[in-house]
Amino acid sequence: MTPLEPAVLGCVATCIAAPLAAAATLRLLGDRVNPRLPAAAAIIVSLAAAVGLAALWHSGSGRPLLFGARLAGGGLVHVDGLTALLLPYVAVVDLAIVLVAPRRALTTAGVSRLLIGAAITMATMATAHPAALVVLWGVSIVSTWLAVRATLGGRPAARLYGLAMTAALACMALGTTLMLADPPWLHGSGAVGAAGGWLVAVAVMIRKGIVPFHSWYPALFSGASVATALVVTMPQVATYTAVRLLVGHADGVASELIVVSQAALITAAYGAALAVVQRSARGLVGTLAMSQSAMVLAGLSGTLPMELCGALAVWVSSGLALTGIGLVVWALESRAGRIAIDSLQGRFADAPALAAFFLLFGLASLGFPGTLSFVADDLIISGSLDEQVHAGIIVIVATVFAGIAVVRGWFHVFGGPVTPDAPQHVILPRERVALSILLAILFGLGVYPGPFVSSLEQVAASLLAVREHHLPGQTSEGVHP
Amino acid sequence: MTEATATALHDAVAALVTWQLAAPVATLVAVGLPALLGRPLAERTTTRLVGAGFATSFLAALLTLAALAARGFSPEVVHLGTLFSVGHHATTIELVADGLSVPYVCFCTGLCWLVNAFAGTYLHREPGFTRFFILLALFGTGMNLMVLAGSIDVLFAGWEFLGISSTLLIGFFHERRNAVGAALRAFITYRLCDMGLLIAGVVVHRAVGSGDFERLFGGTWPHATCLIDPTTALVVALLLVFAALGKSAQVPFSGWLPQAMEGPTPSSAIFYGALSIHAGAYVLLRCEAVLDAAPVAGWLLVAIGIGTALHAAVVGSVQTDLKSMLAYASMTQAGIILAEIGLGLRIVPLVHVVSHAILRSLQILRSPSALHDRHELAAALGGPPGSGTCSILGLLPDRFGRGLYRIALERGFEDAAVQRFVIRPVLSLLEGAQAAESRLVAALGGTDPAADPRRPDRDGGAT
Repeated sequence: MTPLEPAVLGCVATCIAAPLAAAATLRLLGDRVNPRLPAAAAIIVSLAAAVGLAALWHSGSGRPLLFGARLAGGGLVHVDGLTALLLPYVAVVDLAIVLVAPRRALTTAGVSRLLIGAAITMATMATAHPAALVVLWGVSIVSTWLAVRATLGGRPAARLYGLAMTAALACMALGTTLMLADPPWLHGSGAVGAAGGWLVAVAVMIRKGIVPFHSWYPALFSGASVATALVVTMPQVATYTAVRLLVGHADGVASELIVVSQAALITAAYGAALAVVQRSARGLVGTLAMSQSAMVLAGLSGTLPMELCGALAVWVSSGLALTGIGLVVWALESRAGRIAIDSLQGRFADAPALAAFFLLFGLASLGFPGTLSFVADDLIISGSLDEQVHAGIIVIVATVFAGIAVVRGWFHVFGGPVTPDAPQHVILPRERVALSILLAILFGLGVYPGPFVSSLEQVAASLLAVREHHLPGQTSEGVHP
Repeated sequence: MTEATATALHDAVAALVTWQLAAPVATLVAVGLPALLGRPLAERTTTRLVGAGFATSFLAALLTLAALAARGFSPEVVHLGTLFSVGHHATTIELVADGLSVPYVCFCTGLCWLVNAFAGTYLHREPGFTRFFILLALFGTGMNLMVLAGSIDVLFAGWEFLGISSTLLIGFFHERRNAVGAALRAFITYRLCDMGLLIAGVVVHRAVGSGDFERLFGGTWPHATCLIDPTTALVVALLLVFAALGKSAQVPFSGWLPQAMEGPTPSSAIFYGALSIHAGAYVLLRCEAVLDAAPVAGWLLVAIGIGTALHAAVVGSVQTDLKSMLAYASMTQAGIILAEIGLGLRIVPLVHVVSHAILRSLQILRSPSALHDRHELAAALGGPPGSGTCSILGLLPDRFGRGLYRIALERGFEDAAVQRFVIRPVLSLLEGAQAAESRLVAALGGTDPAADPRRPDRDGGAT
């Protein structure tokens, strides 16, 4: 074990343990304490550990660190550039949710579930072990289903989510079993491994809301609480799973990954187009999230570093921007109920600060210069066009529709005649802090993207190396993935 | 000129060009950040800051012009750094100071400075005062970025700034339904046509390995030569023409311009009378070498430009409000300017842009006081001034005139055609897909949770 490895392992453990400890503390203390404080503290500890882990990994050799690799086809704890990128990202999203959550939504049980969800997501992002991934998928699905079901009026969404996720989990479990029996990342694997790969691909498509398995995705945003929807969708666990299990097959890019990426391209354009005709603000966020997350998956199947970098950048930029929009919508809803966007709602005068944040997050999600999404869109469009012209065109069409949807959404929420004597919805300091943090990251990385893009390039190179380094005779204890 | 003098001149030009861009950016941050933090600056401070930004930029441009004149207007490329790079793909921040960009920056920042002074009084105590000046600073930043761009990436960034600031200023009076509708219409047109510039950028990157204009065309403007093969040049030229049509409100993308006058008068003057409407012309002038290498694109531009000019002249002659008349007059001139560019002229369209922009912005700025001006004129003349109008419709035989009059009243049926053949089919398709989605969700999960967006918030918990 190198001197770096215990520190990395410690950071991973802290990332996961801090939210779990806070959840346990909240359960013990009950309603005697404001749940926001321990939750925020725990996630800040996780964030610090995640940032520390990223710094450690970048100071190292750039090789993946595996712990418990002998157990099966991947490391039980697997830390590479992707982990170093995603753990801080997940912690920032969770922190923003905890800070913006309206007080009446902060029940002890609800916050405990959120913290447990955060821990599960971080654990997922730190493993490449197929069995561990299946178990973590199962736990997070059950936890989410319970949360959606507990939401007043959320039963239809819970039913749909349950139906979709049961299918996804079944495919995932069966697929990984077959893959472990006949690992497709080794030369000489047969039909069993291939079938396993296809089942995992179907599981990924369902869990990511890829066409034709997408209907649960916007419905979750409409039926569940905003926090649940964001916690479930923004980390993109299914994309992470695809990277770990489908990238790195012995015969190059897995054919199932190619099929998934083509379906994801269609989803990206379709989701963005649907966003243009949404009638509710939540529907808008849901369809945009569906489109943007599909774009990530489409890009990850590329064979060019530029395309992969673009996909990873879209992962972070769209995730943070849509989290911002979702939180603004949630903040508005907590003051004035659900927001329709089929007509002009005239809320600008009520909430000018939230209008400004919505607009800035909107710009940050649609490739506006000076934001991280400009860098992300540039990379993914250039990479896609370099590799497949049709993919580049579809990505451009998706960004055009997404831009129209965001601006239409902004004007429909905030534009229109103002209600006389409408109450002023002053933004709260914690909301301003949370939204400002997200904006600072999006604009900071947009103005000075060099180091961030370099780190993405390292991650992309390591992902591409996994594809290229599978030589005959390698065992599952080798480099995969 | 000695080598030391040349180096000093180079450094001076580089610093001045950077200032031209940095000044409006600093203004944007200085005015925007306090507003975002809930502490907007006072009106006077806001006006002075934004004015100081434009003044600094204007003076820096004047000094650059003098420095360039001292060395015979040979272009100076200022490399501000590489924004990011992956493999062979690099997005660089390159600015160029030459006989086209620097005079144009003088003109743009000078005009913005004047409009800033006008707007400080015009919008006094208007609820969106700070918002207007933030957007004006954003526009100034975008304009300078686009004009000074030495690469297609930087040009695209400036172009996007123009688009969003324009949209938000059209929808400035957000409580008016018409203003919101007009802003959305303009944004959709921009977004659609922006695809042209975006794809052109990617094509250029693929063709020459970077977006730098140095690799796209060589020589000095207006005698630059295209460095890419004719087929690629044709593709890039057609894409640039497509991009220019939206911003310059050319047929069939012209419907947004008359509606855009919903914005405050100072922004109408600077956007649709002066600068934004000529952004397309500027891009085509900047890439004139590519256009020269693709005559087909040039002839297409001539046809569209003349077509738009005729359309706008006819439709404008039956408008009953001053701002609409001015919008169509702007469209006419923009069409003629594009036709001039398509014909291969370079200096003529540039002079035309500047003279038209100055005249039109003056007319739009005075339009709210038109009646007052007329009364003053009548008092000075001792009677009502003559109408002095001459409509194109009046020159035609009566039968044709009437038919054309009907067409003009319907604005050439352009809006109706776009609505019928583009917007309505696309929306029907999407709404049909959304309805099918809702039915599927209802069938699988019970009632559709999206069906009643107005139901009260029923969040049970944080998760």
